[in-house]
Amino acid sequence: MKLNKQTIALLLGLIGLVAPLLMPLEGLNFAGQITLGIFLMAAVFWLLEPIPIFATSVVVILLQVFFLSGQGLLGDYLGQIEGYSPQSFRDFYGTLASPIIILFLGGFCLAAASVKYGLDRNLTRWLLRPFGTRSQYVCLGLMVATATLSAFMSNTATTAMMITVVIPIIAQLDKADPFRKVVALCIPFAANIGGIATPIGTPPNAIALAALREQGIEITFSTWMMVAVPLVAVMLLVAWRLLLWIFPPATERFEVKFEGTLDKSPAAIGAYCVFGLTVLLWVTEALHGISSTVIAFIPIALLPALSVLDKSDIRGFSWEVLWLVAGGISLGLSLEQTGLAAWLVDLVSWGALSGFMLFAVFGAVGFGLALFISNTVAATILVPLAVGLGVSGAAGADFNMTILILVIAVTVSFPMVLPISTPPNAIAMSTGIIQTKDMARSGLIIGLCGFGVTLAFGVFYFPFFF
Amino acid sequence: MKKIYILCIEDEPEVLEAIERDMGVLEDSFPLETAENTTEARQVIAEILEQGDHIGLILCDHVMPGENGVDLLVELNKQEKTRASRKVLVTGQAGLDATIQAVNEAELSHYVAKPWDPEKLIAAAKLLLTEYILETGLDPKPYMEVLDGARLLKAIHEKGLISDS
Repeated sequence: MKLNKQTIALLLGLIGLVAPLLMPLEGLNFAGQITLGIFLMAAVFWLLEPIPIFATSVVVILLQVFFLSGQGLLGDYLGQIEGYSPQSFRDFYGTLASPIIILFLGGFCLAAASVKYGLDRNLTRWLLRPFGTRSQYVCLGLMVATATLSAFMSNTATTAMMITVVIPIIAQLDKADPFRKVVALCIPFAANIGGIATPIGTPPNAIALAALREQGIEITFSTWMMVAVPLVAVMLLVAWRLLLWIFPPATERFEVKFEGTLDKSPAAIGAYCVFGLTVLLWVTEALHGISSTVIAFIPIALLPALSVLDKSDIRGFSWEVLWLVAGGISLGLSLEQTGLAAWLVDLVSWGALSGFMLFAVFGAVGFGLALFISNTVAATILVPLAVGLGVSGAAGADFNMTILILVIAVTVSFPMVLPISTPPNAIAMSTGIIQTKDMARSGLIIGLCGFGVTLAFGVFYFPFFF
Repeated sequence: MKKIYILCIEDEPEVLEAIERDMGVLEDSFPLETAENTTEARQVIAEILEQGDHIGLILCDHVMPGENGVDLLVELNKQEKTRASRKVLVTGQAGLDATIQAVNEAELSHYVAKPWDPEKLIAAAKLLLTEYILETGLDPKPYMEVLDGARLLKAIHEKGLISDS
């Protein structure tokens, strides 16, 4: 066997899997040791990617079912550990259909319907209209439209659509005009930021929501938006001003034309109605009290029933994203339930840190990880530790676990320094209009502002809600 | 990362050189392998596939010593791992029958008559490699700048070719 990068990563992962079983770890039971092994293996695989990240997630579930469940190979043995009862394999499988996964599936259905009938393009047309033709306001308009769409659709798909429309137009600008760079960068940045706005905006949000649900804390769709939308609005304005400051445009006027008319076929009307109804019910959750995860099933059932979505549309969903999230949720279950999360947290003495410093430390680690690896994975690794802090009580009395988890979920969306940081960044780079150093410079400044703004919101604004 | 190869099968050294020169612009993203006849081509293909890499594009001459090019393309089209590979006949001498066979049985993607216009050949190669990536669902991110970006963006928007992570 050749010792290439992939093989080394696989070996390291396997060492991580086995090592915790071979050494005595004080204060950790055998189930915790197994979980630590799975956690280390997953972390290595997610970092070095010898296999796709979603594959690692389902391997995690496989290992949990075989080695941590009461019905698995070690079921009887695990049952004898004092003060511990192994989970049912159903709990691990259940993560694949957990309410949060259903919420995302509902979002996928809406997104697929709106792409199929051009609702996203038409929405963009309407959203852009009030912004006129002065170049800096057109840029703000593009950012608002991108962020709005990416709050409900995939950040990546939104970026692809916006870039497709905008690139031919900026290609006509003078090659030396920095406004070209502003436009090419404002779209991916707004897409990354916009994903924060709703629970279904981007997968890390799901990791946070699922972990909070496990702790009996349910955040409604409307509460999430009340918490996140102001932050998104602030950051869009900050990113907008900063981009114009870093790349001062030479063009005074700039016009973006979105072609097309509203599809008025019966299926399209059905799509609009279901979209409108679902979003309306989601944002009014506080009024009627029906959980957003319950409402999410309306589009899942109605869109195929109305022949808005057909078989091939359903096959085209990004199922691997759901696997990625489910594996993350499942791993979180064992981390908490076996006491591993609390044990890991106890390795550091947190009592000395104030609430603000905790936000700063977790946020900084999340930001750093998400620069290089998947945002979802960064959240998956950090959120269970935040839960551990909450459960073990190691962080002192004024510690607010909910806010810490939200801070993590939000900060992992901000690293947009490198083309590999997020898929929208990669798409923007492929236009050839910007260079890596343009993205690194503006992305780092804006990302760090995002980090700072999140900390400020965590300290001054989030406590009004939690 | 798995590589996507361009394979060129041509017995005349000058022609092979010309193709290598034209395909040079894609070399950074798509390494080029060459073979002088079908026997050598089979070896090269086996080696590439053994490494787990892909063959995105096959540019093949028709009249060569030994077996002719169309027969090889027909055979490759029957094999699982080279079915999606885009197949191009680069020739001045293929008769109507051979050409019909190539279209019908090898699902020929493109026909290049010698002598060719380098720009057209590169454009065709980019288009065909884009199709290969779309058909196989490989990660398009490393290739978006060199290939048909607009088409890849459309697939990302409409088909979720890349998803959030």
